Amino acid sequence: MNNPFPSVVFIGQPNCGKSTLFNALAGHKADTSNFPGTTVKHTHSRVNIEGRLLNIIDLPGTYSLNPSEPAEKVVLTHLFQEKPDLIVNVVDASILGRSLELTLELLELEYPMILALNMVDLAEKKGVKVDPAKLEKRLGVKVIPTIASHGWGIKDLLEAAFQRLEKSCPVSSPRWSQDVEDEVEHLAKKISPNFSIVANRRFTAVKLIEANQTFCCEVIEEINPFLKKDLDWAKKNIEGKRRAPAYEVIAAERHHLALKISEQSSRVERGRHLTWDKRLDDILMHPVLGYPLLAAIFLALFFLIFKIGNPLERILLRPLGSVRSFFSGLLGSGLLFHLTDGLLQGIGGGIAIVLPYFLPLLFFMAFLEDLGYLARAGFLLDTFMHRIGLHGKSVSPFILGFGCNVPAIMSTRILESQRDRIITSLLIPFIPCSARTTIILALIGFYLGPMWALGFYVFNILIVAGIGRVLTFFFKAPSPGLILEIPTLKRPSLKNMLNKTYFQLKSFLKFAWPILIGGSVVLSLLQFLSLDKIFNAVLSPLVVQGLGLPQGLGVTLVFGFLRKELSLLMMLQALQVDYKNLLTVISREQIAVFTVFVSFFIPCLSTFAVLWKEMGRKVAFLSAGLSIMAALIASFIVRFIFFY
Amino acid sequence: MMSLVQAPRGRQLKIVSIRGGEGARRRLFALGFHKNDLIEVNAQGIFRGPLLVQNLSSDISVALGHGIAQKIQVEVLSDE
Repeated sequence: MNNPFPSVVFIGQPNCGKSTLFNALAGHKADTSNFPGTTVKHTHSRVNIEGRLLNIIDLPGTYSLNPSEPAEKVVLTHLFQEKPDLIVNVVDASILGRSLELTLELLELEYPMILALNMVDLAEKKGVKVDPAKLEKRLGVKVIPTIASHGWGIKDLLEAAFQRLEKSCPVSSPRWSQDVEDEVEHLAKKISPNFSIVANRRFTAVKLIEANQTFCCEVIEEINPFLKKDLDWAKKNIEGKRRAPAYEVIAAERHHLALKISEQSSRVERGRHLTWDKRLDDILMHPVLGYPLLAAIFLALFFLIFKIGNPLERILLRPLGSVRSFFSGLLGSGLLFHLTDGLLQGIGGGIAIVLPYFLPLLFFMAFLEDLGYLARAGFLLDTFMHRIGLHGKSVSPFILGFGCNVPAIMSTRILESQRDRIITSLLIPFIPCSARTTIILALIGFYLGPMWALGFYVFNILIVAGIGRVLTFFFKAPSPGLILEIPTLKRPSLKNMLNKTYFQLKSFLKFAWPILIGGSVVLSLLQFLSLDKIFNAVLSPLVVQGLGLPQGLGVTLVFGFLRKELSLLMMLQALQVDYKNLLTVISREQIAVFTVFVSFFIPCLSTFAVLWKEMGRKVAFLSAGLSIMAALIASFIVRFIFFY
Repeated sequence: MMSLVQAPRGRQLKIVSIRGGEGARRRLFALGFHKNDLIEVNAQGIFRGPLLVQNLSSDISVALGHGIAQKIQVEVLSDE
């Protein structure tokens, strides 16, 4: 062990329990779920285990080392950039055949490796009994059975890891059929030493052969035209022999080898097929029964969130008012007061408006995800998503959007195609997040009635669908369509749910909230400099003539995106009225127009920022433009309906 | 031989060929669906919705959109 901090990398396919295992080792650090692809970034943890320091890294789940989702690409970059001292390959024993495909690919790296044979309990329930010793013999690496969710086998795994770190044991790549092997070997010999070799010659040759054509070939042609010729020759030979594209031949080689090893090292007891989850699945995914169930689950979910969120909001908002008046008494009405006030409102808005609704939503989503229901919702809603040019995989980012748009946009990294990512990211800002929902409920729900609020949501979904349809005209590239693994239903674990909630929350706290506070301070400065009055005057033609609203609401409407969660408070301040007496200065129709405009207009600065960061400047501005257009059109429509 | 969309529910099927774009094919291979694999269609969403397909050898279930399912050719295995 030369390195004082040996790096140990955890790699496994999505849903293999890798993050749960990692958590058992590193404490509550990794994001876990029962939805393929939630660890979108890798997590580093320096852990001290029995006096020995380890740098352990949790990489996103990946099906293979030929990534197709942006989240999966993290794995490849990491593996290629820094050679780990040890790979811990986590394998789902209940689907051993498929899981071993990645294992075989990892063995090709010939890096030190051990295998955590996870979920052996689930496998046994399915009637599959894996023999670790046989598997170990076939693969040539140490195999340790574990049940990560119960912490079982963790100690043995650590022991094996330390053993391997102290005394390395050569790992050799598995061999395929001779005809393919010959071509790989031939190409490997041709790779000159000055070509950047990853891991070893054979691995590099294999990756060249199976890499995505467009990307790889251009680069190689530029660096080494001779190698390009050899590569084309190898591919042509393989394709000629097997009458299939080279990447398919290699994938099939691994697939068959993996299935063979899986069969040789496990015993399947037949007749235990119809387990409880299979029967439950028949109902959950039923073409008719599935939908009312889905609707009931989500209605219950939102009902619960508001049952929890509303009282919490009230409790949390109270101190904000008194703290503000305390500071206004202390600091007068100068610059200092305005800055403090902006800061307070930014912090308070996050705590009192966003968190009471967002936290329960995250928790319930974590529950559905851990159970495996979110993937099933994706299956059921796929048909409807197709109507707006997307597919079932976008369902979970959309649901997350009801809590906060920022993590929702981040979670689009699970989508393979850039086109789907762009469309989903452009649509998410139109999903009413918890901040906007409070406004909708307080204004529409209270002053026009609950049915109107429900109607508003229907109107909102129609607008999202409409915009989705329009967008598909501009993004013509075909979507690859839905290919989504449906994980086995699992009993959700509280630990996993809390971890998941914490992780999503962190992205809100670290990214969205600071921007929210910043925006709030800027808005206070505008007020201090009396710029708000000037803006109100400038915006008057739009606000008064266009929308039929009081002139004083101009800044709230247009600059509201700096402090969207407090739009209601801003409105009351601008109209100098308290919530109960709102109808004395503004009519119900005006309330409807106001809410529609606020809901569809640019959601908030943080959403804009995260769009810029994730999707680039163009998409961020396109989204802002779309929001402005949608807000104008939708509020004109509402005004028209009400007045005529 | 028929496309997966036309295949009967709950019967053992063998994948004869997988056509379609490289991206989708690679994805299917990565999820463990290859030529000659034995599969079964377990459910279908309403209105030409996705198919729930189970790979019988590796026990993986995936949801496949209608478009992709059309590009997978299968044959029904006769009852043993």
